[in-house]
Amino acid sequence: MYNDEVMERYQNPRFYGKPGKYNISLEESSTTCGDHIHFYIEIEDGKVKDIGFEGNGCIISMVSSDLFCESARGKTVEEVVGTDPDKYVSEFPVPISPGRLNCALLPLKSFKKVQEKLKK
Amino acid sequence: MYDVRTIREDFPILNREVNGKRIVYLDSTATTQKPRKVIDAIVDYYENYNANVHRSVYKLAAEATDLYENARKNVGDFIGAKQEEIVFTRNTTESLNLLSYTLESSMKKGDRILISEMEHHSNILPWMRLEEKGILLDYAKIDSNGYLDIEDFKKKLKKETRIVSIVHQSNVLGTINPIDELSSLAKENGSIFIVDAAQSVPHMPFRVNENFDYVAFSGHKMLGPLGIGVLYGKRENLENLQPFLRGGEMIKDVDFHKVSFEDSPIKFEAGTPNVEGAVGLSAAIDYLQDLGMDNVRTHEKQLTKYLMLKFADNKNITVYGPNEAEKRGGVVAFNVKNSQLLRKAKNEGIRLDDFIHSHDIASFLDDSNVYVRSGHHCAQPLMRTLKVTGTARASFYVYNDFEDAEILASKLGDIGVQ
Repeated sequence: MYNDEVMERYQNPRFYGKPGKYNISLEESSTTCGDHIHFYIEIEDGKVKDIGFEGNGCIISMVSSDLFCESARGKTVEEVVGTDPDKYVSEFPVPISPGRLNCALLPLKSFKKVQEKLKK
Repeated sequence: MYDVRTIREDFPILNREVNGKRIVYLDSTATTQKPRKVIDAIVDYYENYNANVHRSVYKLAAEATDLYENARKNVGDFIGAKQEEIVFTRNTTESLNLLSYTLESSMKKGDRILISEMEHHSNILPWMRLEEKGILLDYAKIDSNGYLDIEDFKKKLKKETRIVSIVHQSNVLGTINPIDELSSLAKENGSIFIVDAAQSVPHMPFRVNENFDYVAFSGHKMLGPLGIGVLYGKRENLENLQPFLRGGEMIKDVDFHKVSFEDSPIKFEAGTPNVEGAVGLSAAIDYLQDLGMDNVRTHEKQLTKYLMLKFADNKNITVYGPNEAEKRGGVVAFNVKNSQLLRKAKNEGIRLDDFIHSHDIASFLDDSNVYVRSGHHCAQPLMRTLKVTGTARASFYVYNDFEDAEILASKLGDIGVQ
């Protein structure tokens, strides 16, 4: 299924679990798929200092979450929120069919809530 | 003689190749493919007969009206009902909503509606909306084999139960419910009995009996076009119901502040109807009649039995619903465990789901042109009962053969050994 990079990521996610320190906890579910992602994020000076995730769902959503954490780390919240979904999907290690877009974009959708949380 | 090879030639889409290979369509529970005869009937209608029905006096309009009404008669004959007992709707969902909205006025706070845990959302949500009025919605349980728990059904059939609305064949488990028995119980209790027949009328011989008050089904799930559905209602029932939608066509006389409605079924068909759809559905029924509904049922039963035997050989596959092909329709919902993946993840301290997600299964099969459905199948309460987030689902129809089942089973075998 999928390619080696995706399967390897799925079995050995780099960002699975809570980071040592985090000040934001975010949960997102995709009701149509039953996917569930829980992000733990340490924000410092408007930047993603550390990030990790837990959850369950399809291979695409789990691998996407892991890749998302990798790309988000070190960036400002604005930069991450401003990620272009089309670009994000086009850079995914396997082609994403229209029916699977939601799976791949779940972490992006979830992260947008960080800004609301920061305002509170 | 039932010859799938010949049948398949009647379906232009099944000749399509993707990446140089034929497609294996195993999602007829969602919608079916259309035979040339149905496509031709629709084209013929537009090329030779199109006019608005029940209105104009010229020849074309009269011919269009005849086609439309003959289609109604054909649908009636197909299920043992009278022509005037057939209301054309958009689909099963609209048929059931029509009932929810028109029966509502006769219901009061404290009344109850009984459905089951294996209903499609289309037979849940129209009734759930009445909970806002203080009407109670009860769910008869299913047992561990995917059968309806009749004792629980009896227990929940209370004197306040005004409506019993039950799926004939589950779109997930494939379970065929004993609707004759259930309808007798409902009638003894004085309840209105409704059958969601979306998955049964297309797949087996079906006759309405005197205990059925209403029956709903969709044209597109039985080789007909999209956008045409049916509500059967016993004549006296339909006559006593108020209209659902109001407007063109459905009146006898309109004054400034007064209206008298047409007789049923026209009373329920406000606005210009889907004549093309009715004509297409009628052609689909002719096609099915030529095959013989007994033959259709037997064919699907054989395929289901074969696939379930194949699945039984693969210890990674969990099948949901009854084990006996005799008591289930041609739909097989399943999940696949990947033991190796799970074992490896466990060693690394990572929590993975027991099953490979159904969307991953469907995407994997898609690579080989094997088309199955994945997800919750519009039956989320059932998914909660089964304690899964979703399943993959293969379903058969007249044009599937043993090779289709074989390809599916062997592709799933490939996942297991990865």
